Amino acid sequence: MNHTRGSTAIVGIGEVPTGRFPETGAIAFALDSARQAILDAGLKKDDIDFVIPTGSLYSSQFSNELATSRLVEELGLNSVTSNCQVFSGGSSSTNALRVASALIETGRARAVLFVHTDKLGTGVTAQGGIDLFSTAGISAEWEVPFGQHYSTVAALATTRYKYETGCTDEELSAVCVSNRKWAELNPHAFFRAPITIEEVMASKMLSTPLRAKQSNMLFDGGGAFIVTSAERARDLTARPAYVLGDGGAVTHFAYSQEPDLTRFGWARAARQAFAEAGIGPADIDVAEIYDSYPIYQLIAFEEIGLCGRGEAGGLFLRGETWPGGRIPTTTDGGMLSKGHIGAGGSVSLLIEAARQVMGKAGPRQVPNTRFAIETATGGTYMDAQVTVLGNEIPGG
Amino acid sequence: MTAQELKSKPAPIVNPWARPFWDGANDARLMIQYCDDCHKHVFYPRVACPHCFSERLSWVQASGRGTVYSYTVVYNNAPSAFAPDVPYVVAVIQLAEGVRMLSNIVQCDLDGLRCDMPVEVTFERLNADFTLPKFRPVPV
Repeated sequence: MNHTRGSTAIVGIGEVPTGRFPETGAIAFALDSARQAILDAGLKKDDIDFVIPTGSLYSSQFSNELATSRLVEELGLNSVTSNCQVFSGGSSSTNALRVASALIETGRARAVLFVHTDKLGTGVTAQGGIDLFSTAGISAEWEVPFGQHYSTVAALATTRYKYETGCTDEELSAVCVSNRKWAELNPHAFFRAPITIEEVMASKMLSTPLRAKQSNMLFDGGGAFIVTSAERARDLTARPAYVLGDGGAVTHFAYSQEPDLTRFGWARAARQAFAEAGIGPADIDVAEIYDSYPIYQLIAFEEIGLCGRGEAGGLFLRGETWPGGRIPTTTDGGMLSKGHIGAGGSVSLLIEAARQVMGKAGPRQVPNTRFAIETATGGTYMDAQVTVLGNEIPGG
Repeated sequence: MTAQELKSKPAPIVNPWARPFWDGANDARLMIQYCDDCHKHVFYPRVACPHCFSERLSWVQASGRGTVYSYTVVYNNAPSAFAPDVPYVVAVIQLAEGVRMLSNIVQCDLDGLRCDMPVEVTFERLNADFTLPKFRPVPV
């Protein structure tokens, strides 16, 4: 047991739309998101006593500014004891929430502000983005020299998963269609026009069997959330997003060293998260599944127990994950439709999980949501991180 | 520094304990480690055995035979340095010794690639300092 069920909660969220904003500095996305989150929580700025920015990939200089308290100064936060970066690529959100909860449980902090911002849409060229992601998180000695990059990383898992399970290209493309259905309802999403399986399958081949419309695109964006104790949360809001449980498994650094490219560590991470939360997969009302590529959404969906091995593709194809479906999934549109903003891919999903649990999701609100699960992973899917949020505490 | 495009072919960044692997590749030998305590093969090279934490790691020449755990053929959106190479194949190779490595499959029919197909090592010189072990289908 590494966390007491429901002892902390997300009480405020903030987010800027994902897009291309060449005239806007990355700092603006951070400040806007952070202000929104503080106000959403009903806190005063000087209630914040701990700030956790995560890394910004487009510029190491700017990322260093975040590590060295720029946000504290820009926002005028006068009660902050510590500003320290928590960064694990795409799983930064889960790790920051985990650190924040531990700080609060042990009395080291009372109100933690987490902030993400990046500018991968206009802060780097398109080819610069591809080149960045042919080195970031990829072994410089054992994989970069062979032309590994994130398309090949995803394609290698897809090839093996198709071989072992019989998953089809239609099923993989159905993930893109499902996420787009949700993005149509999300004003913060970049891609909002309806898309069909045929259009996905007709798009340019990147790395077999992965096609362009099965690949995320990089954008500018940012998000923030506030974590505090459950006790304080109840004073602030009638419907906080309690942190019910989390679990994780780190399974590789170099992609070739992953023991199973068709499973990763999701099952272990989910078992831990569900045990801590005191609920099971059947209790989940909303699933916010990390979707940088369709293959990872299918694998994580299955491995955390929402369906059996090899069955996820059919669920997406039949619309069971769509708005109004049996298991609403990746309801902000995900990286495939809302857009990939670096470490913010899973920040966005964690914020969306909290938003659904807090009943603030507007036209895409899943009715009667009590429990949401969120998954995140960093690097070349080096880890499996699972978080369960709820607006009630099971057994509590 | 803002992220930049990387035009030239990247050479491996070599740690001292991995030097025998790269020296071996320059001599067309695929060298991997073997733990004298728990008797398992180890790749990529480590300072201590990742299974039992022993420092008693020896270098042995691998058979060069393996199978394709997974593969992909790159057609578009390759990193700058690899754009002239498309289509090229990236694959995870399962060596007969039980370890896995990332490499390229060369001298192959792109439509004939399959998971679990047998392959064997071949060596391609990258530059004056480095040779990369690559793999090709085993002739039937």
